[in-house]
Amino acid sequence: MNWLCDLMEPRVMDDDMLKLAVGEQGPQEEAGQLAKQEGIVFKDVLSLQLDFRNILRMDNLWQFENLRKLQLDNNIIEKIEGLENLTHLVWLDLSFNNIETIEGLDTLVNLEDLSLFNNRISKIDSLDALVKLQVLSLGNNQIDNMMNIIYLRRFKCLRTLSLSGNPISEAEDYKMFICAYLPDLVYLDFRRIDDHTKELAEAKHQYSIDELKHQENLMQVQLEDEQARQEELEKHKTAFVEHLNGSFLFDSMYAEDSEGNKLSYLPGVSELLEAYKDKFVIICVNIFEYGLKQQEKRKTELDTFSECVHEAIQENQEQGKHKIAQFEEKHLSSLSAIREELELPNIEKKILECSADISELFNELMMLEMQLVEQLEETINMFERNIVDMVGLFIKNVRSLMAQCRDLENHHHEKLLEISISTLEKIVKGDLDEDLPDDLRTLFVDKDTIVNAVGASHDIHLLKIDNREGELVTRIDSWCTHLVDKIHKDEIVRNRKRVKEINQYIDHMQSELDNLEYGDILD
Amino acid sequence: MEVLREKVEEEEEAEREEAAERAEWVRTEKMMRPVEVRKEETTLTQETLRDLEKKLSEIQIPISAELPAFTKDTIDISKLPVSYKTNTPKEEHLLQVADNFSRQYSHLCPDRVPLFLHPLNECEVPKFVSTTLRPTLMPYPELYNWDSCAQFVSDFLTMVPLPDPLKPPSHLYSSTTVLKYQKGNCFDFSTLLCSMLIGSGYDAYCVNGYGSLDLCHMDLTREVCPLTVKPKETIKSEEKVLPKKYTIRPPRDLCSRFEQEQEVKKQQEIRAQEKKQLREEEERLMEVEKAKPDALHGLRVHSWVLVLSGKREVPENFFIDAFTGHSYSTQDERFLGIESLWNHKNYWINMQDCWNCCKDLIFDLGDPVRWEYMLLGTDKSQLSLTEEDDSGINDDDDVENLGKEDEDKSFDMPHSWVEQIEISPEAFETRCPNGKKVIQYKRAKLEKWAPYLNSNGLVSRLTTYEDLECTNILEIKEWYQNREDMLELKHINKTTDLKTDYFKPGHPQALRVHSYKSMQPEMDRVIEFYEMARVDGLIKREETARTMTEYYQGRPDFLSYRHANFGPRVKKLALSSAESNPRPIVKITERFFRNSAKPAEEDVAERVFLLAEERIQLRYHCRDDHITASKREFLRRTEVDSKGNKIIMTPDMCISFEVEPMEHTKKLLYQYEAMMHLKREEKLSRHQVWESELEVLEILKLREEEEAAHTLTISIYDTKRNEKSKEYREAMERVMHEEHLRQMETQLDYLAPFLAQLPPGEKLTRWQAVRLKDECLSDFKQRLINKANLIQARFEKETQELQKKQQWYQENQVTLTPEDEDLYLSYCSQAMFRIRILEQRLNRHKELAPLKYLALEEKLYKDPRLGELQKIFA
Repeated sequence: MNWLCDLMEPRVMDDDMLKLAVGEQGPQEEAGQLAKQEGIVFKDVLSLQLDFRNILRMDNLWQFENLRKLQLDNNIIEKIEGLENLTHLVWLDLSFNNIETIEGLDTLVNLEDLSLFNNRISKIDSLDALVKLQVLSLGNNQIDNMMNIIYLRRFKCLRTLSLSGNPISEAEDYKMFICAYLPDLVYLDFRRIDDHTKELAEAKHQYSIDELKHQENLMQVQLEDEQARQEELEKHKTAFVEHLNGSFLFDSMYAEDSEGNKLSYLPGVSELLEAYKDKFVIICVNIFEYGLKQQEKRKTELDTFSECVHEAIQENQEQGKHKIAQFEEKHLSSLSAIREELELPNIEKKILECSADISELFNELMMLEMQLVEQLEETINMFERNIVDMVGLFIKNVRSLMAQCRDLENHHHEKLLEISISTLEKIVKGDLDEDLPDDLRTLFVDKDTIVNAVGASHDIHLLKIDNREGELVTRIDSWCTHLVDKIHKDEIVRNRKRVKEINQYIDHMQSELDNLEYGDILD
Repeated sequence: MEVLREKVEEEEEAEREEAAERAEWVRTEKMMRPVEVRKEETTLTQETLRDLEKKLSEIQIPISAELPAFTKDTIDISKLPVSYKTNTPKEEHLLQVADNFSRQYSHLCPDRVPLFLHPLNECEVPKFVSTTLRPTLMPYPELYNWDSCAQFVSDFLTMVPLPDPLKPPSHLYSSTTVLKYQKGNCFDFSTLLCSMLIGSGYDAYCVNGYGSLDLCHMDLTREVCPLTVKPKETIKSEEKVLPKKYTIRPPRDLCSRFEQEQEVKKQQEIRAQEKKQLREEEERLMEVEKAKPDALHGLRVHSWVLVLSGKREVPENFFIDAFTGHSYSTQDERFLGIESLWNHKNYWINMQDCWNCCKDLIFDLGDPVRWEYMLLGTDKSQLSLTEEDDSGINDDDDVENLGKEDEDKSFDMPHSWVEQIEISPEAFETRCPNGKKVIQYKRAKLEKWAPYLNSNGLVSRLTTYEDLECTNILEIKEWYQNREDMLELKHINKTTDLKTDYFKPGHPQALRVHSYKSMQPEMDRVIEFYEMARVDGLIKREETARTMTEYYQGRPDFLSYRHANFGPRVKKLALSSAESNPRPIVKITERFFRNSAKPAEEDVAERVFLLAEERIQLRYHCRDDHITASKREFLRRTEVDSKGNKIIMTPDMCISFEVEPMEHTKKLLYQYEAMMHLKREEKLSRHQVWESELEVLEILKLREEEEAAHTLTISIYDTKRNEKSKEYREAMERVMHEEHLRQMETQLDYLAPFLAQLPPGEKLTRWQAVRLKDECLSDFKQRLINKANLIQARFEKETQELQKKQQWYQENQVTLTPEDEDLYLSYCSQAMFRIRILEQRLNRHKELAPLKYLALEEKLYKDPRLGELQKIFA
């Protein structure tokens, strides 16, 4: 056997090979004839078997988009590759090959059954994408580290595992270890794990498992917290007022403001700063709350709107369906009447009647659609007006609140300037009591320097406030225009689709009638 | 007419006069009362007293001497308890008080009918009406509420009209007697019902008054049967949904408003005309149905029950007519007046005018202006402001009133003389006398039977007629109970000849409703099922001569509807039997619910197998945002091409319309596979239809069998009827009895054999007793010795045998086969065992024998028959 295999040349999967395999494994007998007539498109193939073919390299599989089951066992494949497009794959058999590392499986999210039996794998790895994995066969490989088992804990659906023939299976603790760390496992090495073993294993490894679980739980909690925070932020972002529910803006104002920080060491400034911060934060929180409220309002507005539009469309569809049903009933009976009619002139008359019916149906359906379009347009315009008004009001109010911020800043600036100048005077006079930090003292050289410094700080603050305001306004504006555009576009798409549908249906009806006519004339 | 009018006028006048007089009386009474009381109590001189006595004694209290409907001699009074036959002193006192009250009353209102106070009971003893009420709470939970209670009384008793319709009866029997004989007049009815209602906590009163003719004669022929009245459909108030902000505007209405208005006007006219006609018709009918005027209207004495609001969460006062068990509002015009009413504690006379029936009566029994009470100090002091005013004005009177109250309180109502009212479970179940009752309603007749009385489980039948004379039957409804086939109601419509059977859950075929005209198969019929009990989820199957339609629910394959059209039966040769000749199926239509797991364009909504034309039509579900659905039609005719090869599939064998054309469905292969699948499905469907037909046949057969057998089920809790449990119980009793006998046997009389020697019945002399004792003891001793000897003998025999065997073994040891040796060894061990046991027994016997002897001696001493012995020692 061996020498025979050795004689065979290593092969690469190519089109011919695939075609042959598909042809062999495709439908048989009558269906097979049909299939041959038409040719099989690789896209339609659901299962493919390519075993004992001495394949060295996987290739050309990208066309099998809908493949569910792929068997590539008993080849000489060394590297898993070319499976990226096979996202529907459920069953993959790569046993009896020469694979050394697990790789290239990152897109196979639907995979449930993976066999890598009898390969040269030494580490269980790169299986993260396989969330639905149920059966994993890794026997006769070179896995030698027990810690690989812990990696398998993440597969919640894993029920069957085979690892026999690996170095780790020699360990005396092997079975207990696996049972303990994979408690949901049902079959290990083709044998059912009995409850007794499970209990024993659990008792044996309880301590370490508890620790592991604790860690996992901690991770989980952390993850959830993070998610919750993200969600909260996301919510604030949709209201365009993120980071306004605290001193974030204020802090950011001072973050890049070196002069301001220096100046805060002046006597009396820290109290001033404190008061300023409090007031500023209150305004920020006001903006924040107002933003959330407005967001809620916008949301309900949008919900009512979409609900109403949905209802209108549904009702219209019901009417259309009803009309079609009525028509079909009538049409069927008149068709059968035509079939039974013997006299040619009568047939022609009836056919004419039929086509008149069809065109009437067309008119009715189009009328319905036009009516709906008009109604929806009116509603959409109304909504657009309202939402734009709402946004405008929001912007206006935010602006006025921001103006308060600016006033505060100006006020603060004046105070600061006052203190600075008085301090400067004191320094000039030389009767300053307290010690000032050196870098602050350097500012008090002359009046210009200190005024410039304070002014720079003030400018930075104003810039920050302006930026925040500008950001908010642009974002909500763009959201608004986006929304309105989308609604308009959706409506247009819907309309096009419906018109197309109606036309298609009418065409079909007409052609059916024509065929009948044609057939009758032939008869 | 003229005469009648005169009469009416006369009556009216009389009434008016009466009313005026009464009002005056009331007024005088109100003013007089305190004075009168004082007279009686304090300042009455001997003379005036005598005078009054004389005056009072002159007033004769008329006692109607008529016998009640069931004569006295039918009642066995010998077994009645003493309280029925005599009056206790307290009752005598009460009767005196009542007499006095009555005398005063007739003195003050001479034009009013004498009071119904103390009629005779079945033992010809006068008893006060309140004491005839015996408040009893029945042990049956069904009788806890007034409606079921009233229904029970009306069912249980047979109505007997009053001997004189214008007077209260002379006799009022106890409820126990009434229940025993199951008949009574309206007073008996209301007394029983009132007793039961008070017992279960209602504030109920017996009423003596006047009723309409229908009421007094329990004539329901002008009443609509309550069972025929359809419950009024509660019209759901359509919630006007507030138009939402963005609700689309309706399209502009382009119709002329003027035209619409004209149309509406025209229709209104037509409707008005129709209404008018309808009203006229109704009036005509009413005229026909109206009762003939009653000459004695307003004079007919009747008794019913009044329930006052307050207790048991009764929201408002109402009457119950005990004859029918129906409740009426106090405004009802059939109740023409109230003379008096009583409960188990007191007696009240109505002082209000009844010119307008009972509509204006106020049932505030604490108001002495409206209700004159007989005994003071009962709980009915529902205030009255006028009294308070009086007491405020006159302080002296108050003190005296107090004294009077105290005295009056001293004789509150004595306890009822009537025995506890008891209804046996059998009687309760049988309800109506002989378990059968017929009630005639307007255009309807209701018959009732006790359960298990009819062998087919029939418990009631309602026959509805077309006309008032009850000759043309319109429909019949029959209710059944305890039937094994769970039949609950059978409805026969005589006009359409349609029969409908209703079943309770639990029929072997899960039937719910079966309506049919004939039991022949392949006829019009509708069978409904309890779909939860069926594996295939069938809800309903409708059949006509040529079609069969089935409705399904909750199937895993989402099938909701299957309709089969049959062609005419093909005439076959006589060889084949009828069973194997099913009708050919022309067309099968199947509809499916939406399977949300599949996309709409692959989810079949309807498929039609045109078997005759060899065509299959498919219609798919409609996608949510579409108005048209995909369709596909297959021609499954197999054709042969010019070379004689079978054509497998050609594009024109499948005509399809797809809403959104897809790539793969255009393929012949796909179509071929779809068609193959459909062919298989067609076969299955055909098979299903045939199976359904068979099932119908089976159901019909089963129904016929059930109708013929009509066995009744018996609850396992029904100890009376449940034969099995009865047998079991009897067997248990027999076993117990036998056990008892055996126990008796074990306690054998040790003296019997010796006593038998002596002449029976004579008392033993001392000598005889001593001899008897000695004989008995010596005999016992002998027996003990014998027993010891016996054991000894056996022991010796056993030992000898063992020795012999051992000897034999010693001699033949060499020649013995292993089997024989085994045999010997086992024998030895067994023999040793026996010997050991015998030895033990002997020892035990030796130990016990003296004890036993002593015990017997002791027993003999204590034996009462040998009493002589003790005397010696004593």
